[in-house]
Amino acid sequence: MRTQKNADCGLRIADLKSEIANPKSEIKTITVAVAGNPNSGKSTLINAIAGTRLYVGNWPGVTVEKKSALFEYEGTNIKLVDLPGTYSLSPYTQEEIIARDYLVHEKPDVIVNVVDATNLERNLYLTVQLLELGIPVVIALNIYDEAEKKGYKIDTKAMEKILGVEVIPTVATKKMGLDNLLKAITNITNSVSMHRPKKLNYGSDIESSVSIVEKQIQNSYSQLSEKYPLRWLAFKLMERDSHVMEEINIENQSFIEEATRHLKKAHGEDMESIMADARYAVAAGLTREVLKKPEFKKMELTEKIDKIVLNRFLGIPIFLAAMWLVFKLTFDVSAPFGDWIDAMTAGPFRRWAEVILGFAHAPAWTASLATDGIIAGVGFVLVFVPVIFAMMFFITFLEGSGYMARAAFVMDRAMHSMGLHGKSFIPMLLGFGCNVPAVYATRVLENPRDKALTSLLIPLMSCGARLPVYVVFIGAFFTAYVGTVLWSLYVMGIALAVLMGIIFKRTLFKGESPMFIMELPPYRMPSFRSLMIHTWEKGKHFLIKAGTYILAVSILVWFLLNLPWGVEHKKDSYLGKMGQVIAPVLAPLGFGNWEAASSLVSGLIAKEIVVGTMGEIYVQKAADENKETPTLTEDLKEMGTSFAGAVKDSAANLISTFGMASLSSKESTEETKERTPLRDVIKGQFTPLTAYAFITFVLLYMPCIVVAIAMRQEFGTWKWFGIAFAYQMVLAWVVAFVIYQGGRLLGLG
Amino acid sequence: MSPLGLLSRGEQAEIVEIRGPKSCVHESSRHQLCHAEDMGLRVGKMVEMLNNEGRGSLLVKVDESRIAIGRGMAMKIMVKRQ
Repeated sequence: MRTQKNADCGLRIADLKSEIANPKSEIKTITVAVAGNPNSGKSTLINAIAGTRLYVGNWPGVTVEKKSALFEYEGTNIKLVDLPGTYSLSPYTQEEIIARDYLVHEKPDVIVNVVDATNLERNLYLTVQLLELGIPVVIALNIYDEAEKKGYKIDTKAMEKILGVEVIPTVATKKMGLDNLLKAITNITNSVSMHRPKKLNYGSDIESSVSIVEKQIQNSYSQLSEKYPLRWLAFKLMERDSHVMEEINIENQSFIEEATRHLKKAHGEDMESIMADARYAVAAGLTREVLKKPEFKKMELTEKIDKIVLNRFLGIPIFLAAMWLVFKLTFDVSAPFGDWIDAMTAGPFRRWAEVILGFAHAPAWTASLATDGIIAGVGFVLVFVPVIFAMMFFITFLEGSGYMARAAFVMDRAMHSMGLHGKSFIPMLLGFGCNVPAVYATRVLENPRDKALTSLLIPLMSCGARLPVYVVFIGAFFTAYVGTVLWSLYVMGIALAVLMGIIFKRTLFKGESPMFIMELPPYRMPSFRSLMIHTWEKGKHFLIKAGTYILAVSILVWFLLNLPWGVEHKKDSYLGKMGQVIAPVLAPLGFGNWEAASSLVSGLIAKEIVVGTMGEIYVQKAADENKETPTLTEDLKEMGTSFAGAVKDSAANLISTFGMASLSSKESTEETKERTPLRDVIKGQFTPLTAYAFITFVLLYMPCIVVAIAMRQEFGTWKWFGIAFAYQMVLAWVVAFVIYQGGRLLGLG
Repeated sequence: MSPLGLLSRGEQAEIVEIRGPKSCVHESSRHQLCHAEDMGLRVGKMVEMLNNEGRGSLLVKVDESRIAIGRGMAMKIMVKRQ
């Protein structure tokens, strides 16, 4: 596909050639950039238009999400590119720079400017800047229904006349106006020259200056006037925009100084402020012209809710209750499905693989690799899929509804002590589910300092993968205090995060805390469709990244446990030997045996593997080999009925959550039944004190490999992971040491 | 004239001055102030204090947007009470 530019000045020769070579290209492709304020409903609009054709990637070199879609509309191929949500095109934030560079350098054929009809003035401030680029613009006047409900009267005809662009009322959430919008876009490409936006008048002072600068550019730097939109470039030179100045690098700048001197003198300000004021004045004037607001306004629903949710006394309890509900729902809804996947991979899939490999006369070691290595390893990942997707669904709901921003606001004060601001709370919170999406979620932070510090603290949030380890040990030693012991681990993680945050703030991240500014969007009911799309996008990340790495690593662990060839005892395998080397270091912590050490080594990959490895080491496999093997039909039947059972359990859990009934007792008895052999062995190997020291060590000792990869991806360097690795190893050792030795002194050992 | 950070809940005021270095470029603190201006907190605008508890960040309403800002920034924005 190629982009057909210059449609009004005829095709270039290269274009003609490809036209002949490729008759399909009669369908022309146009590139449409979608720009707008954050919370203007831009992403809902794109989801509504593109649907499943949406592709989500990253902007090159940065971690800001880039959405695009390619589809056909009435004989035209449309390539939609979603620009990051921005309030302006000034170079103050990463998002603004990305949006601006794309518009200036990639020169899309059309810009769709999504404007929030309920907040016209501020949205039009961006519109005014978009028009400076000289690219045809279509305005999607979005959230039009809410504006009408508020009694706003917007004269779209007058808007079109003043701006020289088409204005299409849309309601993205209800898919209204989308067809008109697409028609307007395709109309433009038929006659671009007719749709050049108007030059807005910034006042005679500025206009005379800009025409002097424009002329000078054309005379002395004509190559620049081809590369950049002329009027825009002239403005940027007048503002001395540092990014543009660096890019074009012109020597003689005196003409700019001359052209702007009288302006600066008259206003007593720098050019940047003068220009910003002029643009804002145009936006404000336009708003006055086209918008009629009702005299009286009633208190909005958003303000009513905020009165309660942000209340000094109620704010934090409400927040904690909301989080409790999210976690409860996440686990209750997803657990039956996770168990189902677990049963399927451990049962039928394993048996089928054995049967198939048996038919193929594959050597015994490949069968073991396939079942113990690959199927068990991938099974580990798949078991977490329902949890991750459920959690992403609820988090997306909180984001989409507008509550997440309030949570950040409420928690801001507490986070300040750690040198972070409230927005960091969102990724930290996600960390309790899984550290991996949490690291990716640091994208909500603009500032690299905040991102790094937050990522360093995330691994202290006890993730779901550590839970299986706790469950096994708590089940073996602390059955009387299940809740308290579990709670103590989570709280310890949080307390240490606060402590480390304060230490990092004073050492690695000296200097002033960044300023906090964010918009709290109005409360809205997110549409089911956009919930599903965003949940999928977030979950997919986990599925692909974690899936590939854990697969590779479980193969590796299998080899480490089974090499050198023909190893009789696990102790003599490579992993066992590693464990023997490391064991003395762990001796002062109370678990200096090779079995524990080897399990911890394998847990570097993913902490739940600690349990798996322990199972492999401690528990002899003989026990389950006498079972009868069911037939294929029995297997399939079992899969079907157990899935139906999972759906039923999940629904029942959902209902009981709202009935506030506790299921934990039932769950724990099931666990006991299942894992008894491992628990019995552990009982012989650990004491309650060493067991607690051990699970503390598991909580703290390092982020897993997948987190390492996520951190590498987010920061483009191993540096932050290296720091996290080092400090956590030390922290884990010290804390476990204090617990074990302190416990012994108190006579608990 | 007083800093925005000293308004109490429900009070309305007009922004009259934004204090800080002159240029938006280079300096990070000024950078943030310029970003605040882009979000609508600019001279001449009417603001309403929605939430201010004397510590931590506060919440103001300007036009149709609710903007949460840190106290440090709020002390640099000067307002005139109505």
